Amino acid sequence: MTHQNIVAQVIELITQLPDMRLPAHITEKTGLTGDLALDSLKVMDLVVLVEDHFDISVPVNELADIKTVGELATLIEKIVGKHA
Amino acid sequence: MKENARLLAVQAVRQELATLGIDPFGIQIDEILSPTEGLIQGRKTILAGTNNYLGLTFDPDCIAAAREALEGAGTGTTGSRMANGSYAAHRELELELARFYEKRDAIVFSTGYQANLGMISALAGPGDTVLIDADSHASIYDGCNLSGANTIRFRHNDPEDLAKRMRRLGDEAANAVVVIEGVYSMLGDRAPLREFVDVKTQFGATLLVDEAHSMGVLGQKGQGLCEETGTLAEIDYVVGTFSKSLGNTGGFCVGDADEMEVLRYASRPYVFTASLPPATIAATRMALRKLAAADVLRQRIRDNSARLHAGLSGLGFRLGAPANAVVAVLAGDKVEALRFWHHLLKQGVYVNVMVPPATPGNESLLRCSVSAAHTPEQIDAICAAFASWPGAKA
Repeated sequence: MTHQNIVAQVIELITQLPDMRLPAHITEKTGLTGDLALDSLKVMDLVVLVEDHFDISVPVNELADIKTVGELATLIEKIVGKHA
Repeated sequence: MKENARLLAVQAVRQELATLGIDPFGIQIDEILSPTEGLIQGRKTILAGTNNYLGLTFDPDCIAAAREALEGAGTGTTGSRMANGSYAAHRELELELARFYEKRDAIVFSTGYQANLGMISALAGPGDTVLIDADSHASIYDGCNLSGANTIRFRHNDPEDLAKRMRRLGDEAANAVVVIEGVYSMLGDRAPLREFVDVKTQFGATLLVDEAHSMGVLGQKGQGLCEETGTLAEIDYVVGTFSKSLGNTGGFCVGDADEMEVLRYASRPYVFTASLPPATIAATRMALRKLAAADVLRQRIRDNSARLHAGLSGLGFRLGAPANAVVAVLAGDKVEALRFWHHLLKQGVYVNVMVPPATPGNESLLRCSVSAAHTPEQIDAICAAFASWPGAKA
């Protein structure tokens, strides 16, 4: 899985979040709490989707520094790499 | 000082409440009349949001024990357990708690919050893994934070999801610490403890169970859900509080592990907090004796819980869990829930209003806690207050 590939999958997962009004164009640089206005609960919903999709566990303590779609993809990459 | 985003967020919530003219989080009981009644805003009010499960706060024997200790040993210890604040009575309470739970040893902390903070941060450190239920109390989240360990959430009350995450850990699973609660404070729902114990045993992990809301309430002896499910012997650490069924303040952990002796010294919340004052220790010891023999009170909680649960569900309210000492009414939208709460207060009934993100499922709750000290008439009055809300279905 390339970084870009993970980014695309994360974007696809974001669109699956219920009750969201999302901007038309989401990119690697899009902010999760900023641009997408995800509150803390929505971020946790997204993490659960990510965990199921990639079959990984994302430590809560690793989320504090994650601000953008790209940063989340990088974290996923790191965790998937560990499991491999 | 630069702008503090966290304070600004809190300020925004405070402002929202001020605009509504409803402030449940600044509520003051002007005079406490009994375990179940207080004066609030000049009105005699039934207290149905206190966690005073056995109603022991005004127990004459507990008060007498506290008074004797106050006069005999003074108002406070003025130091932590590790410095000058360990009195014989602290250790005696620990041994009594260990005996009560049939465990080898106990550690007493100054609050229940600190018991979780202190235990989790002593059991795990950077590089370790702690797995916690997604609906865990803030003290569990904060304990994980203080530990610096990798913290993994599993789906609420889902042993299968825990097992899946344990498998992902591979060899590390045997060193992991799993933290769950017996009864969850928001909805009053119980953990499938037997299934969780089986998962922890399968992977050889360490299990800590917080019995704050089940101690004194569940089980023949009042040991909690661990007793009711026959899992006590297999649970490594049980954490609890003195501030609910024991009617005081403080927290504890009991366990069989060899590490019990040194854990307290590795626990910063234990080392750096003043110990509980003599009166608190004395009243708690008396309350623990009462709790162990409180069959009649436990039956009364069951009766009162069943009565409240039946009354409210009969009125068409959606409830969070089967009858238990915590009866939570699902109240939907936050503003609607705040107005509902305010209406109940004006009817002379105090309950807790809980709003997201503190609640599961993004829904607000009106949380009632039942006491053995409630009379059936008070339970009926609580139901009547709920029924008088214009939004009630019946």
